[in-house]
Amino acid sequence: MARYLLTRAWQSALTLLLSTIVVFVGVRALPGDPALALAGEDRSPEALEAIRRHYGLDQPLPVQFAQYVERMAQGDFGVSIRTGTPVSSMLTTALPVTVELSILAILLATVLGVGAGVLAAVRRGRPAEWLANGLALIGLSVPHFWLGLLAILYLSVATGLFPASGFVPFLDDPVDNLHHLVLPAVILGTGLAAIIMRQTRSAMLDSLSSDYVRTAKAKGLRPRAVITRHALRNSLIVVVTVVGLQLGGLISGAVVTEQIFGLPGFGKMTIDAVFQRDYPVIQAVVLLTAAAYIVINFLVDLLYSVIDPRIRVTGEPA
Amino acid sequence: MTNLSVRETNLPRRRVLRAAVAAAAVVCTLAACSPVSNNDGGQPGDNQSAGQDSFGTPADPAAVKQGGKLVIALSAEPDALDPTLSRSLYSRYVFQAMCQKLYDVDERAQVVPQLATALPTTSGDGRTVTIPLRPGVRFADGTPFDSAAVKATLQRHLSNARSARKSELGPIDGVDTPDAQTVVLRLKQPFAPLLGALADRAGMIMSAQALRTRGDDFASAPVCVGPFKFAKRVPQNSIEVVKDPNYYDASKVHLDAISWRILTDASIRAANLRSGDAQVADSVSTQDFASLRQDASVSVLQSQSLGYQGLTINIGNVDGVGTAPKPINRPLAQNAKVRQAFEHAIDRKALVDAVFNGLHAVACSPISPASPFSSPEAQACPAHDPAKAKQLLTEAGVPTPYPVTMLASNTPDTLRLAQALQSMVKDGGFDLKINPVEYSSLLDEQDRGNFELLQLGWSGRIDPDANITNFVGTGASQNVAGYSNPQLDALLTQARQAGDVEERKKLYGQAVTVLQQDDALIYLYRQRNLTAVSKQIQGLQVFPDGVLRAAFAGYTK
Repeated sequence: MARYLLTRAWQSALTLLLSTIVVFVGVRALPGDPALALAGEDRSPEALEAIRRHYGLDQPLPVQFAQYVERMAQGDFGVSIRTGTPVSSMLTTALPVTVELSILAILLATVLGVGAGVLAAVRRGRPAEWLANGLALIGLSVPHFWLGLLAILYLSVATGLFPASGFVPFLDDPVDNLHHLVLPAVILGTGLAAIIMRQTRSAMLDSLSSDYVRTAKAKGLRPRAVITRHALRNSLIVVVTVVGLQLGGLISGAVVTEQIFGLPGFGKMTIDAVFQRDYPVIQAVVLLTAAAYIVINFLVDLLYSVIDPRIRVTGEPA
Repeated sequence: MTNLSVRETNLPRRRVLRAAVAAAAVVCTLAACSPVSNNDGGQPGDNQSAGQDSFGTPADPAAVKQGGKLVIALSAEPDALDPTLSRSLYSRYVFQAMCQKLYDVDERAQVVPQLATALPTTSGDGRTVTIPLRPGVRFADGTPFDSAAVKATLQRHLSNARSARKSELGPIDGVDTPDAQTVVLRLKQPFAPLLGALADRAGMIMSAQALRTRGDDFASAPVCVGPFKFAKRVPQNSIEVVKDPNYYDASKVHLDAISWRILTDASIRAANLRSGDAQVADSVSTQDFASLRQDASVSVLQSQSLGYQGLTINIGNVDGVGTAPKPINRPLAQNAKVRQAFEHAIDRKALVDAVFNGLHAVACSPISPASPFSSPEAQACPAHDPAKAKQLLTEAGVPTPYPVTMLASNTPDTLRLAQALQSMVKDGGFDLKINPVEYSSLLDEQDRGNFELLQLGWSGRIDPDANITNFVGTGASQNVAGYSNPQLDALLTQARQAGDVEERKKLYGQAVTVLQQDDALIYLYRQRNLTAVSKQIQGLQVFPDGVLRAAFAGYTK
């Protein structure tokens, strides 16, 4: 197990270094110039020159890269070209928003998805399954931005049940915080809920027709116990994998959701930075996302061994 | 870079568009489009018909409540909240509430005193400008506003390496402070656009103490004189200001706080307005205008900008903007007749009607009819005449259809404009191809000179010089066309140095005539800034400088 962990750690570090290089080169390969984007309407050659000098953009690329890696190694993400604020402070305000939004979305999606998936499998061929399948189809195929707009139109504008935009930090007012986040979390979670539902349903169908479930039934266990303790537990490994894989998708989904609901999160920060060619911010967010992916994958592997003891024994992922 | 030909797609929509353009063309022929009509004589008021200015009215103190927080849904994020460094239009919205200027602009685009007590007096040779300052004024940090603060601010504008104000202030040689309430500016040569600059960010005075303690970091906690003071900023999300008890005219301030929330999507801004999460939404889409006007709880302010949207033709920008123009081997670049033909092929009125529901105003020159510097010459307009366009092309010896590629930003509005242009100029003998690119790339391509024809605009300033010279003067910083005409340069220099409005008016009229002959920049239309305001709110105004004025607004009792 220790050796496995060590290999994974080494691989992770290498991936991170590679992504640093890719990000650095990638953002500079984008057409467009951050100095021009910043200068806006009032641009003169002297102003552009001054901006480039101030942000070190006039240095040769290898020098810029060396400075960037050096600063990163010290945990310094630099200063945003657009707003002049340190990227680290932008991240500390943006990250909690997206993390909270994602956690809420996952919770909602898992509860809904697993519940509907189990129901669809147990009530196979009955209206409950059709309903669950239909909802999953809608959840998967309707784009976030449209669902978001509909939600704002009907749940904010028409009825005033939820605010249409804005964010209140959890520590300032927990109730208001949740009030602002429920709608975005539901919208963000719909796609994931649909995927979880489909996966749970097929995994449950597999489990329900397997020998150990027949044995459990034959032992005289109550149907509820058969479903939850035997069939569902074995189906959950699939769900965990899906949730893990979809976390990345959740971040890209958050870009759209945060834009629609005006949430000051990571996704909105990323997209704004790309449009404004804000190199330090793009570099920081991409690197953090890469790091997050690596950590999540690692954690998912660890979770496997918790859920499936066979993996724990061999010390290798299934 | 994608080379997408929009021509091939959207056939049914294009047919509808073409029908609309044709219908509008008939109306236009009957109504005679030329010269540009000035429809800005409307009285300020709410919800006038489309295409009429409605700047909003000041709040009636007896009818508004004290207190409350105003939320404004803003379409783009302001940049650094530092008057020396700021370059975006949107920071001017925020500054309006917390950073007052020596001079301001009224709804007729006239300059009026704000932190000064009167318009400046200029010496006979035009090289000494004296500004009297308002007494008894304090900055948000409690320090006194005086000539020393004005001097510190102007010196920072002139000396900071990243200053965006340096060129606006022109040839200032020195700043004198004979007493605490008087500032004297010494100029190397007369510079008429100075007053216009002092009615914008260059005239925002910063607390000398805050400048000393914060230095380059001023934007993180800006301190000026204003009805409100800076409270907090969440990057890319919101900016909040609160009422400043130190403000000299605090009895006129009704709100407790103003918050600008950045919501880039127009329909989301409209939804926030309707749900009551915001009370004001800027940059309403011309597509949403009709439905918002029908909403009884919302009024829409319309203010025609002093800027323009137009087409720039690359005449000599080979090595990038700012370098010496070089000949380009293309009839469109070499022969003014081909460019004139292109202009005659455009029916501006039909374009504005079909693409923007008639909300924007036709423009044929850089001078707005609302500007005090406008004249009949400045509003002359080459008529839409496809036959003449073809004739000019024949005279130029160019086979038709003549292919032209236009670089344009990939926003929905611009693409609709480009498609309408495409079908329109066909009758004049042009085959227009559209090359849509994302905005930052567009700026880059523009400055490098990688274009034949390009669609972009300018938000506009009070003084006409700031709307003309930078774009068409030889070697000017934004002359991306690589255009150079010594006759025009001479006219613009004279106009810059002339002290008299009538004389400047005449010179700008002549400049417009030259511009229309050379046609390096074909002016198309003037945007109307549309701002939707909840009827709960009184006193919100948008003047021709395009700046949303929220500082003296209040909730209706």
